[in-house]
Amino acid sequence: MMMTKKSILAGVMVATSGLLLSACSSSSSDEPTNSAAPTTSDAASTGTLTVWLDDVRADALQTVADDYEAATGISVEIVGRDAGTMKDDFIQQANSGSGPDVVMGAHDWLGELTTNGVVAPLELGDTAGNYLTAAIDGATYDGTVYMLPYSVENVALLRNVDLVPDAPSTFDEMITMGQASGAEIPFAVQQGEGGDPYHLYAFQTSFGAPVFGRDDSGSYDPANLTLGEGSAFAEWLGAQGAAGTLSTDITPDIAQAKFNSGDVAYWLTGPWNVSAAVEAGINVAVSPIPSAGTETAAPFAGIKGFFVNQYSENKVAANDFLVNYIGTEDVQMALYESSSTPPALTAAADAVAAADTTGIVSGFVEAGKDAVPMPAIPQMGSVWQFWGTVEAAIINGADPDATWAQLTSDVQGAIDAS
Amino acid sequence: MSAPVAPKTRVVPVASRRVGPVQRLRATGWRHLVALLLSAFALFPLLYVLSTSLNPGGTLTGSNHLFQTVGFDNYTSLLSSDQYPYLTWFRNSLVIGLTTAVASTLIGALAAYAFSRMRFTGRRMGLLAIVLVQMFPQLLAVVAIFLLLLQIGDIFPSLGLNTHLGLIMVYLGGALGVNTYLMYGFFNTVPTAIDEAAKIDGAGHARIFFTIILRLVAPILAVVALLSFIFSMNDFVIASVVLVDVDKQTLAVGLYHMVSNQRGAPWSLFAAGAVMASIPVVILFLFLQKYIVGGLTAGAVK
Amino acid sequence: MDTTTPTRASVLRGSSIGPLLLKIVMLGILDAAVVFLLMTLLTRGSYAIFGVVLVGALAVNWVYLSKRAMPAKYITPGLVFLAVFQVFTILYTFYIAFTNYSTGHVLTKDQAIEALLSQSQSRVPDSPQYPVTVVQQGDQLAFLVTEPDGTAMLGSAEQPLEQVDATFTDGKATAVDGWTTLQFTEILAMQDELFDLAVPVSDTAMDGWLRTLDGRSAFQYISDLEYDPQADTLTNTATDVVYSDTSLGAFTAPDGSQMLPGWQINVGLDNFTRAVSEPTIRGPLVYVLIWTFVYATLSVVLAFALGLFMAILFNNPKMKGRKVYRIIMVLPYAFPAFLSTMIWSGMLNTRFGFINETLLGGAEIPWLTDPTLAKVSVLIVNLWLGFPYMFLVTTGALQAIPEEVVEAATTDGASPWQVFRLIKLPLLLVSTAPILISSFAFNFNNFNAIYLVTEGGPVDRSAAIPVGHTDILISLVYKVAFTGQNRDYGLASAFSIIIFVIIASISAYMFRKTKMLEDIN
Repeated sequence: MMMTKKSILAGVMVATSGLLLSACSSSSSDEPTNSAAPTTSDAASTGTLTVWLDDVRADALQTVADDYEAATGISVEIVGRDAGTMKDDFIQQANSGSGPDVVMGAHDWLGELTTNGVVAPLELGDTAGNYLTAAIDGATYDGTVYMLPYSVENVALLRNVDLVPDAPSTFDEMITMGQASGAEIPFAVQQGEGGDPYHLYAFQTSFGAPVFGRDDSGSYDPANLTLGEGSAFAEWLGAQGAAGTLSTDITPDIAQAKFNSGDVAYWLTGPWNVSAAVEAGINVAVSPIPSAGTETAAPFAGIKGFFVNQYSENKVAANDFLVNYIGTEDVQMALYESSSTPPALTAAADAVAAADTTGIVSGFVEAGKDAVPMPAIPQMGSVWQFWGTVEAAIINGADPDATWAQLTSDVQGAIDAS
Repeated sequence: MSAPVAPKTRVVPVASRRVGPVQRLRATGWRHLVALLLSAFALFPLLYVLSTSLNPGGTLTGSNHLFQTVGFDNYTSLLSSDQYPYLTWFRNSLVIGLTTAVASTLIGALAAYAFSRMRFTGRRMGLLAIVLVQMFPQLLAVVAIFLLLLQIGDIFPSLGLNTHLGLIMVYLGGALGVNTYLMYGFFNTVPTAIDEAAKIDGAGHARIFFTIILRLVAPILAVVALLSFIFSMNDFVIASVVLVDVDKQTLAVGLYHMVSNQRGAPWSLFAAGAVMASIPVVILFLFLQKYIVGGLTAGAVK
Repeated sequence: MDTTTPTRASVLRGSSIGPLLLKIVMLGILDAAVVFLLMTLLTRGSYAIFGVVLVGALAVNWVYLSKRAMPAKYITPGLVFLAVFQVFTILYTFYIAFTNYSTGHVLTKDQAIEALLSQSQSRVPDSPQYPVTVVQQGDQLAFLVTEPDGTAMLGSAEQPLEQVDATFTDGKATAVDGWTTLQFTEILAMQDELFDLAVPVSDTAMDGWLRTLDGRSAFQYISDLEYDPQADTLTNTATDVVYSDTSLGAFTAPDGSQMLPGWQINVGLDNFTRAVSEPTIRGPLVYVLIWTFVYATLSVVLAFALGLFMAILFNNPKMKGRKVYRIIMVLPYAFPAFLSTMIWSGMLNTRFGFINETLLGGAEIPWLTDPTLAKVSVLIVNLWLGFPYMFLVTTGALQAIPEEVVEAATTDGASPWQVFRLIKLPLLLVSTAPILISSFAFNFNNFNAIYLVTEGGPVDRSAAIPVGHTDILISLVYKVAFTGQNRDYGLASAFSIIIFVIIASISAYMFRKTKMLEDIN
């Protein structure tokens, strides 16, 4: 009897695990005839476009979705996703037969998305000319457009006009004016323990040390890592850290709370933080980022947009939805209103600027004139990996030259290894 | 619901003597002092959440000046929000949480009973295996569960992705695990003489289990039920992959998505949501507390 | 033993009709579902799964219909869920560990070819945008396009564009004799076919082809990549380089350069070899391993000590307000951990954090930036996260200690401390030892509690990977497997399996040790 029980238990175990093993292999191997086909026909017959985005914009897009359904009979399902894992989730699920048709993301995902082969090229046709040049540049990877851009954003210098009425022309002038204002924090830029190179990039470029050089066509050249020219920037970082003007204690939360309570004179941040500051009663003005070195301070431009899944069963509808609906002024305006990041469509950007009585939007646009697109090449991942912690270390007193030199060699090593 | 035998009054040796105020202070005063210190440790981080939830437009950790602004705007706007179906999330969480708690406690108790009361080949290995299985690093769990539910949903749509039942089943996959061991330990302290007596009275094994043993292990059932309820209330990693539609999501998923894009995240709304989301846990604990600590001690059943 | 074999009489007397009915109904529902599943599997031709499900279902039925297999009756429900969901995850990880699943290798080969061909198409420079009407004849689709000069052209996959007489609406050719004009909704019903439709512009391949992506406009494309299905090679027509499948999971040129995206292949034990020979992990491995053990051990010991202390403190019936205290102690558990850790991280901020600014009157203690203090900090945070669990568990376990034993000891003159140390603690350890061991295992892999507080930092800049002083083994291997934009799931899976073997061996050993404790009972 003991034997029987044992064998039964064993049988159940073997049976179930065997089942799973075969389920597992069938799901991962290519068996389109069995599993993928029914899903496909289901999706096509119901005529649903699934769109992934982060929740902030969900409402704005819902209206567009309803309009689209009324016009074409194709319903658009808006799915809010965790912004932090959306890219990896998309890559993992894109070809499963159950991935979304359209996903919202940023232009610097492109290297990864194309390397994985999960995005389909778009064709903007004659409408390409209707977008800001920076937007089209960002949406293009290796000569092909993959993204329908909806916003172009960059950081700029916010100031509390009641404390500091004027925009500074240099970094040092800004610190002097900030200190003179008597504010607890003359200048705030978010860092945190891991650093934040995105927000510091304008200062880095003002020392003439972009991350990658660019080839003749303006594309970033992975073989030309120019990060190493930043030793002057590194020394400057160290000096600012020692003087306390840059600090890893300034987290995003603290920067925002202190600015909104009137304790910060100048704040280097993005458009997403403006509305809360205005609501908190701060008299906000926006200006370009002052140069800390000898060259122009050029922040990163981030282009947001929508991608079409290469394995979507609804690519015609997806393309139509993006190019002919998301690419219209009304929709771009709606997205702007939900996220307050400037639109990518020229007409919408102009409309926003025209309606802007506070000078805030035009301030960001002005600050973005010299902005450079964040590199989308896969090698950029190797830079991000080390960059922030090294900057944080230098701010906290590590030897600037040696630490920066090590950053360069670590990044180069990681690029060569991949 | 009360147990057949009244809880036995405990004999507490020191305090049973007549004591004056000084002794009483020495006996319980230090306890309160320690308890207050521990409460401060437990509560302090949560005061930030409460303060943020009462301050429209507040940040989470930006300021140490707590409770400068106090208002219920965040609560009312969250409850009446079109964008965030908070009450729907709340209901989903309760349904999923309670179902998971009851089912996984029952499943675990069944197994713990077999492991405790029966002797069979592979018993020790089985016990060890169910705990070891839970130690596997869950790196690919989310991908695996996605693929699995995709296949299941192909055949049984009501159990696939984007269904509450599917998620509950995934949670029940963890029902046999360390909690079973916890119950197993507790079952072991219930004397087998009770089973024997019941058997002599002619009760079958199922009847012994459901009508006698389960009552005797009420404290641990309550603990395990609470633990699984809290687990499913707080899980967003698995739930956010399984539950796709906003209206199907749980509190943890919905709230996490609110702030996962940290730029301009509505922290104060989120904090209000988190405060309200903790209420079911508190209520369930209040309800279960009497079973956890007021349950029968093994020795009370002679 | 007797318990497993109840006498026939007792079974008969014990089972009334209710439970039996319930059993039959539930088994009936299960079997109905299984029959449906089997039929579906059969129509799909999944005979292997069919066989396995059949055997499994028969086994479950046997367990519940037979008078024997008593333990299986109780264990099967949990076992089924465990097998389906937990064991599947493990098997999947094993499966991935033997593949090259990573960035650039997430697709199947066919999908990779499709993606490469689609990415290689580029629009002919300065070519116009053609308004297009999709027309159908039988099951053949064709494009009716309007040239910029206003002439109508018709073409299909086989037939290059040629001029036709068409009906125009607002300057756009909308209908042609012999073909049915499709409305947009009809187009959408066959969008897959339409999307792949490439209409040659002329007889010369060099001129490229027309495609429409949105069903409204067509564009002229050329591609410098050609796939030869016979030879299974891709040729770059611009450089004449031939890329072939050399079993590396990507089309590879003779000089070794690869074309990505590639596809998933089986790589045997490669990932395991790479895991043990990975050079970047060597340097920090020893101290990370030591810290992992320290972290996991202290996390368990501290949380258990505090939880147990509270449980005993609040178990005293004389204590007023203990219900309220108990609720307070459970509250940290009722909030999402990611929220609490973010708050802790803020409270530990050197300049603005509550602990330094308010509690310590403006001290500047580098809680998160000093290597040693950062370790203390993550332990404190993990203690805060973990003690409510231990409090609940020990509160429950305390109830299992017979009052008589405590009473007897106290009457014999034992001090409360002696009662605790000699009676309560050993008894508690019997029931909680497994909890402690699995808590140890949990914290051994507690990626989140470290990451949300310090991200593994402060960073050890002497290492070639961004490893930090609070990194534990699992976060170290993640940093190795997920470098930059590269996600190497195959390597990470191999690492997970190795870590599992380590932690499972330690745990199994500890379980064997505690078996001695178990036998006290």
